[in-house]
Amino acid sequence: MNDTELAQIWTALEPNGRQRARIENRVFEWVEARETSLLAEWLSLIKVDPLQALGFAAMAAVSLLMFTPLGWVASSMLR
Amino acid sequence: MAAVLTLTFAPAETWTLAGFFKALSSRLGGDAEPLDEEIIQRLVERARAGDRDAAQRLYRQNVDRVFRTVRGMLRSDAEAEDVTQDAMLAVLTSLDRYSPREGARFAAWVASVATNTARRRFRRRRPELTETGELPDVPDEQAQPERDVDTARERAALLRALAELTPAEREIVSLRYGAELNASEIAKLVKLEPANVRKILERTRECLGARIETLLKGTIA
Repeated sequence: MNDTELAQIWTALEPNGRQRARIENRVFEWVEARETSLLAEWLSLIKVDPLQALGFAAMAAVSLLMFTPLGWVASSMLR
Repeated sequence: MAAVLTLTFAPAETWTLAGFFKALSSRLGGDAEPLDEEIIQRLVERARAGDRDAAQRLYRQNVDRVFRTVRGMLRSDAEAEDVTQDAMLAVLTSLDRYSPREGARFAAWVASVATNTARRRFRRRRPELTETGELPDVPDEQAQPERDVDTARERAALLRALAELTPAEREIVSLRYGAELNASEIAKLVKLEPANVRKILERTRECLGARIETLLKGTIA
């Protein structure tokens, strides 16, 4: 077996489609992780849905409007 | 052979290097047509500057070659996958550290990264060494139905013949036929004189060739 024949038979060691896909997926995951800064990771953890945030803000406003006058009345009665 | 590709990507503002590779991986295999060293050097410079297409082409040019190389050194497909993954990640993220000397090929640098990664894996596996100093055979976990019968037979014969070589011989012969390096490039990686590498290659080629032919004719059917 000469140099060329051995080089030819060595191509049998190439990865198959599934192996190639697995390698690529893992490399891509790591590359993606490297591209995402630590700050971005933390911000994504505490990020709030805008609609949900609007709902919370509305509830807070209603609570303030309702309970602040009641607080005044209660404090004046305690005096 | 020029590959004509039509790729669909997300809007430009959401592009990432990873996303780019994912889109391409669904369309492409490994090694494409070999490129001239001058073109590769330009690709490296562009990839360093953040050009995603250049980085993708470098990846595609080298991933199969790295797998072929480390598969010849290691004893299982699973290990070869892990080492290829680590080596390709190191290559893509260390392009800034690549400094081509006069006449040095990019493929030789990639092979050095792959070899060092495989050596680290080999050292980690030391507790599993057998009495003869060889790693035990680890059967491949997955069947590979897509390989044709002849390729599967050749693969089995080559792997069995490789298992009978010493680790140093496997490394040298893998760098020659897997990474396609010449004796001088291999000599730098394994810290031997080129003349010694040529002798080892000649001897190993004869052993491997004879053993593979015997296996193909006889036991592996």
